[in-house]
Amino acid sequence: MDKKRIFRILNRADRDFVAGLASEFKETHAVTVLREPNKTLAMIRLREPVKESLFYIGEAMVSEAVVELDGTKGAAVSMGDDFDKTLDMAILDAACNRGVFHSEEALLALEQAQREAEEKENALHLKTMVSFRSMDPEVPAK
Amino acid sequence: MAYVAVSGGEEAIEASIRLLRYYRSGSDKDLDLEALENKLSLLVDRVMGEAGFYSRRYAALALKQSEGCVEEAVFLLRAYRSTLTRKYYSTVVNTEEMRMVRRISAAFKDIKGGQILGATYDYTHRLLNFSLAREDAPALRESVRQELEAQVPLTVEPCTRVSSELKGEGLIDSCPEDDANPFDVTEALLEFPAPRSARLQTLARADTGFLSGMAYSALRGYGLAHPTVGELRTGLAELCVPYPLDESQSIYVGEILITEAETFTEADDKDRLKLAVGYGAVFGRNENKAIAMAILDRELEANGPYPAQSEEFVLTHGDSLEMNGFLSHLKLPHYVTFQSKLDAVRKTRGGKA
Repeated sequence: MDKKRIFRILNRADRDFVAGLASEFKETHAVTVLREPNKTLAMIRLREPVKESLFYIGEAMVSEAVVELDGTKGAAVSMGDDFDKTLDMAILDAACNRGVFHSEEALLALEQAQREAEEKENALHLKTMVSFRSMDPEVPAK
Repeated sequence: MAYVAVSGGEEAIEASIRLLRYYRSGSDKDLDLEALENKLSLLVDRVMGEAGFYSRRYAALALKQSEGCVEEAVFLLRAYRSTLTRKYYSTVVNTEEMRMVRRISAAFKDIKGGQILGATYDYTHRLLNFSLAREDAPALRESVRQELEAQVPLTVEPCTRVSSELKGEGLIDSCPEDDANPFDVTEALLEFPAPRSARLQTLARADTGFLSGMAYSALRGYGLAHPTVGELRTGLAELCVPYPLDESQSIYVGEILITEAETFTEADDKDRLKLAVGYGAVFGRNENKAIAMAILDRELEANGPYPAQSEEFVLTHGDSLEMNGFLSHLKLPHYVTFQSKLDAVRKTRGGKA
């Protein structure tokens, strides 16, 4: 599973879920915090469609942390200011990097649940899909 | 007119600041941040956009602290933001891929991917709903949760913009992707003529009311002809940044709600016509601001005689912090310069009041 996907699942996860996964590594491995969780900014780059150029729409506040687990580094960045969750995600990233993370099944199950929740929300929105019928004869039917 | 330094008044100032607590204490009921964030979400969107700072929770906090004053909340967020480092630049957000919650076109009845009305007040009766005065919030939440649970999961396919199809027909100019680093108005002083990236960033951060008023002036005749909203879309875009330990990879850090608008107007193309596009994109569901931004983007391209077409006029007068800061400075002591003005008036009246 690639980093983007793992972080997508973890960042969308409930903090207790992340804490649950990380607790195993905190108890059984040597974890050193190299960069304490802290707040920083991420400037958001957007591509606009007129000239296809880039511009900054604004900044998002993110939290970041870097840890070492048995000598292997791990890092995490997450929108918001949940330091505990960010630190736990960094520990899980270090576990992945070290090859000792074996809870992929749990991640996949959560990803499936997240996808289903998102798709149910989509369904609510898609109920508002509209097909207008013009009452003006000059407007082509299609 | 210049203001002057004064001393004294410390106790009165302290009492004045304490008095704000009195004004915020008018009820035993607390303004819960979670409620503010979720139930005044359009206001939160507006504040985040004008602050240029995406944090729903902190925007809610700023609104709570400022008794709901938008410009004060923007000030608080901008001030807070200035205390933070900026360690990350996101990968390029492609809004064509965002998970749409609303997408309409006033140009075409049928668009590829369909029109999704989403959540909009456009079709509501503007009648006060007195039943909300005694709303059972837990019951509302539960009933919406049940409705959500009962849905059959569906995917929303990403779809290309309406303008992309017109580009395909050659009716709108196509440009190759330009990956030049954008100008950053938070780090460098704006100069004119402004780069396109500076214009768009400035408009995205601008005061909603200012942009709406400027765009309205253009629509009423002080600008180009009436534009058509080719597309208005709101959706959730994934925000990714380079992985801190290996920048060749990127990681997902969250999602942001964005509204973007494209407006179409006719434009000369040598001896024939083409369509020119104006573009707007803002945080959250602030769609009139997105439309106003798109109108002004196009007006500024026209570089005509009207205020809405003057880059210097539009880009230097719409920042919430700057405009309200300048207005606010009028409350500072101007005793010396006013005395001079008073003397001048008195002289013309020959010493008689």
